[in-house]
Amino acid sequence: MICCQSSQNSCFSRLDPRFKLISLFILAFSFSFVSEPKLLPAMLVLTMAAFCLSGLPGSYILKRLKIPSIIVLALVFTLPVISGETPVASLGFLTITLEGLAASALVAVRFLCIITLALIILGTTPVQTCVRAFQALRLPWIMADMALLVIRYIEVIGSDYRRMRTSMVLRGFSGQRTGIKTLKTMSWLIGSLVVRGVERSDRIYRAMRVRGYGNLSPGSHGFKATKLDILIFSAVIMLAALLVGLELHLGS
Amino acid sequence: MHIPDGILPLPVTLGGYAATVGLAWFSIYMIKRRQDPRENIPKASLLTAVFFTASLIHIPVPPVSVHLVLGGLMGALLGFYAIPAIIIGLFFQAVMFGHGGLTTLGINTIIIGTPALLAHYIFRFRNTAPADPKRTGFFGFLAGSTAIALSVTIFSVVLFTNIPAHMDPETEMTAILLLIAAHVPLMIIEGIITCMTAVFLLRVSPGILDGV
Repeated sequence: MICCQSSQNSCFSRLDPRFKLISLFILAFSFSFVSEPKLLPAMLVLTMAAFCLSGLPGSYILKRLKIPSIIVLALVFTLPVISGETPVASLGFLTITLEGLAASALVAVRFLCIITLALIILGTTPVQTCVRAFQALRLPWIMADMALLVIRYIEVIGSDYRRMRTSMVLRGFSGQRTGIKTLKTMSWLIGSLVVRGVERSDRIYRAMRVRGYGNLSPGSHGFKATKLDILIFSAVIMLAALLVGLELHLGS
Repeated sequence: MHIPDGILPLPVTLGGYAATVGLAWFSIYMIKRRQDPRENIPKASLLTAVFFTASLIHIPVPPVSVHLVLGGLMGALLGFYAIPAIIIGLFFQAVMFGHGGLTTLGINTIIIGTPALLAHYIFRFRNTAPADPKRTGFFGFLAGSTAIALSVTIFSVVLFTNIPAHMDPETEMTAILLLIAAHVPLMIIEGIITCMTAVFLLRVSPGILDGV
């Protein structure tokens, strides 16, 4: 669903998904621990190195950075003027502070590095494989089963939604006006999707039971760690420990 | 209303995960107490997919447009399944669209999941008397708007008390109140949508309102 086709042959796509996911979380949390501006270039270099090794096209990352960037951009532009005490410049009635600029840089770089790493790992691992890897890492079966069914049916529900939306437009609904009529139409659209979803789920449950759902013992997940997985995982742990150590050292 | 990666410090993101593990454990414990916990999994999963799709609907609120969160409706219809559903939905939103984040998955679950559970309990008050459209609509509105109001409050407090910059308490409080005030139209819209959807379901398929 999300896995990027052009990354299929990169070394990242051949790694054990369990190790990839744990590595991602270790690096992401170590990045979120950093608050020292001197460590930001190191985080950027590390992220760039991972990106180059992944074989993903730049457009893949940039396309997915659009929406969350709006929230982060709002903070990046407002923090220098609403926080801090040491003035560095003045723009009319606005005073830019040194502490505010440092906080902006910290937010921007941490966000960019964590989301890029997440996109690299998830761009080189199909979503289904991710869920199975989480399952192998002891994710409760209720959540794993639900996640796999959501992946399976999200396109079906999305297709239902698009078809209903098209028929609404053909009947003259634009959805551009604000008012109780628009909200009523939207509510009925959501209600219809809920009714269709529930009706479909009854059939799915019966079909799943016929195929043995709930009576079969879960098979092996089929993941096997290689020496390369362990080597890369060890390197990630060392890099994260180094980052945390430097943060503690510089912070004190 | 999703906090992206990179803004919150490590203790808050880890605390969010710890609280989410507790909330998920409680929900799964309640689900497993049923006679056949697998029976409702397809229904809960399909409703999760429905809410995931419906959350992409944009409602025009000039000069901008808002997208629906539907935490209240999820709580009302999914009950304890709402927590696994929200975790799954937030994970997919993070990996597919970049909404929210991975380190903030825990805190974002608390922001949307806790109010959803509250909405579940609010909506259950509907059953204290024979259900009619007015009663269903009233508790639907209350569940939808309360859920979003609580989500916005948690979101604003978590965001402005943890951004990596020193803000004086007065500015912090002003920012929190401004953000909450900016979301008042969304609280009303979510309330109306939840109310009208609940009334629609009461007329078309009332069994769905009994929850998963």
